[in-house]
Amino acid sequence: MPLPPTIPFIGITWADALFLLLGGVVLGSATLVVLGRDIIRNGLMLILTLGALAGIYVVLGASIVAGAQVLVYIGAISVLILFAIMLTQSKSASAQLNFQTQALPAALASALIGILLAVALGATQWGSTVYNDTPDPAGTATAAAVLFGPWLLAFEVASVLILAAVIGGIYLAMKPAESEEIEA
Amino acid sequence: MSGEMMTIAPLLTVIFGAVAVLIADMVVPARRYTPIAVALAALGAAAVFITAQGGGVTIALAGAYVTGPFVSYLGLLGITVTTITLLMTPDHVGDRGYPTAEFASILLFALAGAILVAASTDLVTLFIGLELLVIPGYLLAGYAKRDPLSTEGAVKYFLLGSFSSAILLFGIVLLWGSSGTASLSGIAAALASGSATPALAVALALITTGASFKIAAVPFHYWTPDAYQGSPTPITGYLSVGPKVGAFALAIKLFLVALAPLALLWVPVVAVLAAATMTLGNLVALTQLNVKRMLAYSSIAHTGYLMVGLVAAGLGEVAGISGILFYGAAYAFMNLGAFAVLTAIQGRPGSTTQLSDLAGLGRRHPLLAILAAVFLLSLTGIPPTAGFFAKAYVILAAVQAGGAAALLAIVAVLNAAVAACYYLRVIIYLFMREPAEPPVEVATPPLLRIGLILAAIGTIALGLAPTLLIEAVARAIAP
Repeated sequence: MPLPPTIPFIGITWADALFLLLGGVVLGSATLVVLGRDIIRNGLMLILTLGALAGIYVVLGASIVAGAQVLVYIGAISVLILFAIMLTQSKSASAQLNFQTQALPAALASALIGILLAVALGATQWGSTVYNDTPDPAGTATAAAVLFGPWLLAFEVASVLILAAVIGGIYLAMKPAESEEIEA
Repeated sequence: MSGEMMTIAPLLTVIFGAVAVLIADMVVPARRYTPIAVALAALGAAAVFITAQGGGVTIALAGAYVTGPFVSYLGLLGITVTTITLLMTPDHVGDRGYPTAEFASILLFALAGAILVAASTDLVTLFIGLELLVIPGYLLAGYAKRDPLSTEGAVKYFLLGSFSSAILLFGIVLLWGSSGTASLSGIAAALASGSATPALAVALALITTGASFKIAAVPFHYWTPDAYQGSPTPITGYLSVGPKVGAFALAIKLFLVALAPLALLWVPVVAVLAAATMTLGNLVALTQLNVKRMLAYSSIAHTGYLMVGLVAAGLGEVAGISGILFYGAAYAFMNLGAFAVLTAIQGRPGSTTQLSDLAGLGRRHPLLAILAAVFLLSLTGIPPTAGFFAKAYVILAAVQAGGAAALLAIVAVLNAAVAACYYLRVIIYLFMREPAEPPVEVATPPLLRIGLILAAIGTIALGLAPTLLIEAVARAIAP
C-alpha cells in the first residue's frame, strides 16, 4: 500500500519531516560536541552529526555528496580524530576539558547571529534565482564531467593545498634530530 | 609547449619547485643553502615564464585560470617578495637550529596560492587559492617551534585565520546562492540585473568580515601583533607583506569585480574600517617599545592606507586600483627591508628587538643604520622614496573620487603625520643615542646582505623613478 503524500493529521511532506528530524539531530549532537566534557564522547557525537548531515544530503537528492560524506567524513576523518585524541592523551592529564569563562558572551553572540541568519535567509525569495552551472546532484556522470571539466583546477589544487599542509604539519610535529638539537 | 601549458606554466613551476626543494633536501640532507638555491632557481624559471607570456590575456583549463597583465604584475611582485624572504631567512633560522628546506618549500606553496588568487575567475578557485596562500603562513608563523612565543602567535593566527576563512566561505556560499553562479563576472552581471535581498546583505557582511580578517583591518586585527611578534623576524617581514598583498588581490577580485554593482552598499563600510584601521594602527604603534611589535601595528596602519585605494576604486576611480598595486610593491620593498635590518641586529640567537637595541647603531654600523633610515623614511612617506609615491597615489585617487573618499584622504594625511612620530623616533635612536652596553651583535651573512640591497634598490628606485612601475601598473589594470 503506497504512503500518502503527506503525513496524516500534520500535513507536511515526508521529505520535509525527515529533513526536520535530521536537522534536529544535527543541531542537537553538534551542541553536545561543544558542551560535552569528555573528549572521546565529543568525538563520537561528531560522528552522529556528520551522519545526520549525510542523511540530509540524501533527503535533498544529493546522493553522491551523501556517499562522499559517509566515506570521507565518517569513515576517515572521524576515525582520524578519535585516533588523534587517543594518541595525544597522556595519563597525567585529565580527559576533561576546561571551560572558557567567555562561554556566556559567546553563546549570546552565536544565538544573535543564528537568529539574524535565520531571519535574513527566511525572508529571501530564493525561487527566482537561476542556477546555471550546477549539475544534477544525483547524477554520477554529470558530477564527474563537471569535476573534471570546469572545476578541474580547483579539484587538483585542493590536493596541492593538502600537500602543503601535510609538509608543514609533519615539520611542526617532528622531533628534532640529534644534530639539530639546540642547547637550552 | 602548448598554449594552455604556457598559461599555467608559472603556477606549475612554483608548485614543482616546492616539491623539488624537499627532494633536493632528501638527496643532499641538512644543507642550509641547497634548498634555498633550488627554490631561487624555481622562482627564476617562473619569472621567465611570466615574462615570456608577455602580459597577453590567455585562458586555460576551461576558463578557470586566466592570465593577463594583472596576473603577471602580481606574479612578479610575489616572486620578488618570495626571493627577498628566501635571502633574509636561512641564516636566521639556521643559526637557531631550524632546517631551511621546509621553510623554502612552504614559502613556494604560499606563492602558488597568491598566483592562483590573482588568476582565478570563480569563487571556488579563489577560495582554494586563498587557503593555499594563508595555511603556509600559519605554519611559517610557528616555524620556531621550540620558542613558546612563536607557537603562541601561530596558534592565534591559525585559529582566527580558520574562523575568518569559515566566515568568508559562508558569505561566498550565500553570494553563490543569491546569484546562481560561481563566476566572478557572472555574479556581477546577476547582481546588476537583480534586486538586493536580505540574504545578499548577509553575504556582503560575512564577506567583508572575512576579508577584513585576512588583510588585518581594525577591528579584526587582534591576531596580528602576537603572530608578528612571535614569528622569527624575517618570517614576520614576509607575513606582513606576502599574505597582505595576496589578500588585497582577493579583495580586488571580490569587491571590485564580483560585488561592483553593490559598491554603494560596501564602500561606506570599507571607508569607516579604513579610517579606524589607519588611526588605531598608528596610535597603538606610538606606544610600542619593541620595534617588531611597532612594525606590526604600523603594518595594520598600512592596511588602512591600502583600503583607501579600495574605497576610491569602489567609487569608480580606476586610479584606486593602480594605487593599491603600486602601494603593494612599495610596501613590499620597504617593509621587507626594515625587517631585514631587524634580522641583522639579531645576530645572536635569543636577542631582542627593543628600541634600545637599536641605540647608537649609526656609530657602530653606519651602513646598516643608513639603510634602516631609508626604509623608515619610506614607511613614513618622505620623498624621494617609494613610500611617498605609494601614499601619494592612493590619497590622490581618493581625492579624485571625491565625496566621502576626500574626507578619507584627509584622515590618511593626518595619520601619515602621526606615523612620522614613531618612525622618526627609531631614526633618533639609531643616530642620536649612545650605544647600548653591551652592544648588540650584528650579523650580516652574504644572503641577508643581498636581500637588504635588493630591498634598498627597490625602495629608492621606485622613489626616484616611479614611472617605471606606473606603466606596468597601468597595463595591469587596463581593461
